[in-house]
Amino acid sequence: MTESKPEEIVVTAHDKPKIGVYVCHCGINIGGVISVPDLVEYSKTLPNVVLAKEYKFLCSDIGQKLIQDDIKEGLINRVIVAACSPRMHEPTFRATLNDVGLNQFLFEQANIREHATWVNMQDPEGAYEIAKDHIRMAVGKANKLRPLEVQKVKVEPSCLIIGGGVAGMNAALDLATEGYTTYLVERTPTIGGHMAQLDKTFPTMDCSACIITPRMSDVAKTKGIELRTYCEVVDVEGYVGNFVVTIMHKPHYVDQEKCTACGACAEECPIDCGNEFDLGMQTRKAIYIPFPQAVPGQYTIDMDKCVKCGICARETVCEPGAIVYDDKPVYEKIKIGTIIIATGWDLFDPIKLEQYGYGRYPNVIDSLQMERLLSSFGPVLGKPVRPSDLKAPHSIAFLQCVGSRNFRQGGNKYCSRVCCMYATKQARQYKEKHPEADVYIFYMDVRAFGKGYEEFYESAAENYGINYIRGRIAEVREGENNSIIIRAEDTLLQELIELEVDMFILSCGLVPKADADQVSALLSVQRSSDGFFMEAHPKLKPVDTLTDGVFVAGVAQGPKDIPDTVAQAKGAASSAAALMAQGEVEIEPYYSVVLEHLCSGCKTCQSLCPFGAINFDNFKKIAMVNPAKCKGCGTCVSACPSDAMVQNHFNNDQLITIINFALKENPL
Amino acid sequence: MIEKKNWRYGMFLGCVAPNRYPMIEASIRAVFEHLGAELLELEGASCCPAPGVFRAFHIPSWLVIAARNITIAEQIGVSPLTGCNGCYGTLRDAWVEMEHEPSLKKMVNEHLAKVGRVYKGNREPKHIVQALYLDMGMDYLRDHIKYTFKDLKVAVHYGCHIIKPSDKRPWGGQYECPTFLDEMVELTGAKSLDYKDKFLCCGAGGAVRTAVKEISADFSREKLENIRNAGADIIIDVCPFCHLQLDLGQLEANGIYKDIIGEPYKIPVIYLTQLLGLAFGIDPNQLGLVKNHQLAGVPPFISIEPFLNIVKEQLD
Repeated sequence: MTESKPEEIVVTAHDKPKIGVYVCHCGINIGGVISVPDLVEYSKTLPNVVLAKEYKFLCSDIGQKLIQDDIKEGLINRVIVAACSPRMHEPTFRATLNDVGLNQFLFEQANIREHATWVNMQDPEGAYEIAKDHIRMAVGKANKLRPLEVQKVKVEPSCLIIGGGVAGMNAALDLATEGYTTYLVERTPTIGGHMAQLDKTFPTMDCSACIITPRMSDVAKTKGIELRTYCEVVDVEGYVGNFVVTIMHKPHYVDQEKCTACGACAEECPIDCGNEFDLGMQTRKAIYIPFPQAVPGQYTIDMDKCVKCGICARETVCEPGAIVYDDKPVYEKIKIGTIIIATGWDLFDPIKLEQYGYGRYPNVIDSLQMERLLSSFGPVLGKPVRPSDLKAPHSIAFLQCVGSRNFRQGGNKYCSRVCCMYATKQARQYKEKHPEADVYIFYMDVRAFGKGYEEFYESAAENYGINYIRGRIAEVREGENNSIIIRAEDTLLQELIELEVDMFILSCGLVPKADADQVSALLSVQRSSDGFFMEAHPKLKPVDTLTDGVFVAGVAQGPKDIPDTVAQAKGAASSAAALMAQGEVEIEPYYSVVLEHLCSGCKTCQSLCPFGAINFDNFKKIAMVNPAKCKGCGTCVSACPSDAMVQNHFNNDQLITIINFALKENPL
Repeated sequence: MIEKKNWRYGMFLGCVAPNRYPMIEASIRAVFEHLGAELLELEGASCCPAPGVFRAFHIPSWLVIAARNITIAEQIGVSPLTGCNGCYGTLRDAWVEMEHEPSLKKMVNEHLAKVGRVYKGNREPKHIVQALYLDMGMDYLRDHIKYTFKDLKVAVHYGCHIIKPSDKRPWGGQYECPTFLDEMVELTGAKSLDYKDKFLCCGAGGAVRTAVKEISADFSREKLENIRNAGADIIIDVCPFCHLQLDLGQLEANGIYKDIIGEPYKIPVIYLTQLLGLAFGIDPNQLGLVKNHQLAGVPPFISIEPFLNIVKEQLD
């Protein structure tokens, strides 16, 4: 196969626009609501439209060829496709133009699907009017389109991964193996994430810690992974391929080079406080490692708890002299090409659901607490007890969908995907330890969708005698001896139940990290309505975000179990690698340019630019735009008092023409 | 001192209070006047109409009549204010539904045009509890407390329409175990008890009282039993219909279920503003707490004498 670049079709500002309008049926999405032939006829009446055509699916090969043939025959030099959102197919049609040598920016898409026929399915006449408006506005813009040149920039062959859980670790291992320098930033003193807290994994019941801890030490040992634990990303500048990231190394107050992790300091430290890793169910010292298998294994002082008594700093305690009470944060600037967000999740806080008594009754706990109680290296060494009297409960009940599938105020509408299985797993684990115990699971639906999950659930009911009761719990009350009295409806038997159990576990859903807002602002990444980071396309770009060069993996993108998280992490690593392997990327030429003769050098634009893309030329006394940094937001254009700023592809002439065309049925 | 604002409301009376429990209206007026709020009359207001009965038969009629009532308040530029959960349910549901569904508003206005009225939807219907708790606020109420109870155990009855449906109510996240009423009761020094099935219906709503008296009384019996077991001195409610059911309903439960309840019930039932009014230092006569004992067959049916004795002992 030979690749030959087609001969370029030269179009200048002096050439009379010859516009071709192509209206897409999009199956019945558009054609089923409004009359496409009528739209075609209408389009032909608009200024400088030389031809208008329709097709069932313009994005198909045949549809694209229709456009290409007309270009090649010299019939048209501007293309409008009236179809779906440009988010969907603008790149497709630009390539269509490019392939036959027409500048790809002589293309305009009128979104008559999302903006007209989808939202006004019940009102075809109104939808038709809106579609006409969109096409007319696109024609207005097309009349003013100018060819633009795409710039290429080099891509730095290194990646930043935010979050050192199972997603971040796996992505890091893949990228490092492929030869890319990978910075793995984790805010806590250890990698491992939530998976390190879990006891066993469903449905295979293999030990979670036994799987994750060897991976953790792999990460620490792998060349090419720059581990940055107890660090936070505080600033991100730049653009795809050339991000400049500032990482804050939080002060450990312990010299990490000198610390031998002997643990003598923690033995002597007089301060006891709740251990975050065990959700406060066990104590740790003010100088601590989060858990015994932590990576790296060096100690950290929690300065919120430390009273600076000086004991750990004594020579007899810390022989290497690693304690540094006046440790300060250190800032590190790195240059990277791609970013993967793997920030994970928080557990839904059930205190908001007062009817379940969490926080009010001691024997109501959440599922992560249960996980730690079941863990062989947890606070009770895997022999769960109830908090009120530290005795093993004879009966336990789980409630599913706590904070999930709730369409009322304050609830999460989505399904968290893991709770049915982890409750089944925890119930089985408890039953294994206490075969005589009564175990109940109150559910809405059991969603056992993964490989081996249905079998796991069946076996829990069949072989372990776990009682699955379909019905929501209305409320719980405390009975004698701190037992929990559950009132619920069994919706299969259609009867009300009142049940007394010793301990009650809330299977809470997963929610976005509390600071997802800041991450989203830092990286200009959007979030979907459920609060998780939004993928660029739900089907075809599940690990990309709408910000070029930034990818997302794991629960940060939406609730998922461990296998899915790892799969997505590998997907994100592979997408990041694919981008970096190209060596350079194209930058959209939407940047602003300064009309030097008009600029008075007031610097208004410089102070407003959110991306720091405007510099001041001290010699010429005018503003200058760095095209690589400019994102084309247009802030400077609207702020410039002298009209000296012009944004490519969205210049004043073009925008005003669009407005004129929008307002007048017959604009010329 | 929290600043007084220019609170003005249109007093929507409803049916049960004026016909059965005028003391409820009296105490609302006394307390609102005391707090510096102006209550205007809604001339020509009709039945709300009752959410359980009317809505169940014909939603459009229910909606049009509700909208007509709201327009009376709109005309004088105030929010309609009700002391009844049922009226609140109707007026507020109608208001929210019409906000969210322009076609309903259009339909309603077509009908209202026939009587020369226009529904705008710019006046939010409010419950007196909403006015006290959200408009004036706890700090403002606290500033007015003059006397406090030393030992008064209260079983608070919220009723249904004041908290549900949650998406049409103003309580934010508070809909499963709300505390706003308990907080206001405890302002007076009283203790609000936690009792079993606190949010159970009184038994009257949804026309159950009219249709099946036994079942309605059985609801009340269960509620009263739980209240009695918790050791409550009095019941506090915020709805005249609940008030009727918990008051007269005690006699009915005492009759129908005399074999299973043991001792007959005789728990005084007091409306929220009657209790608050006492703590504010308002004359019990103005709050409708003092009754001519010669009158028989006149509410309250359960003597509130024990409560008045507590008042005499503790409020000085």
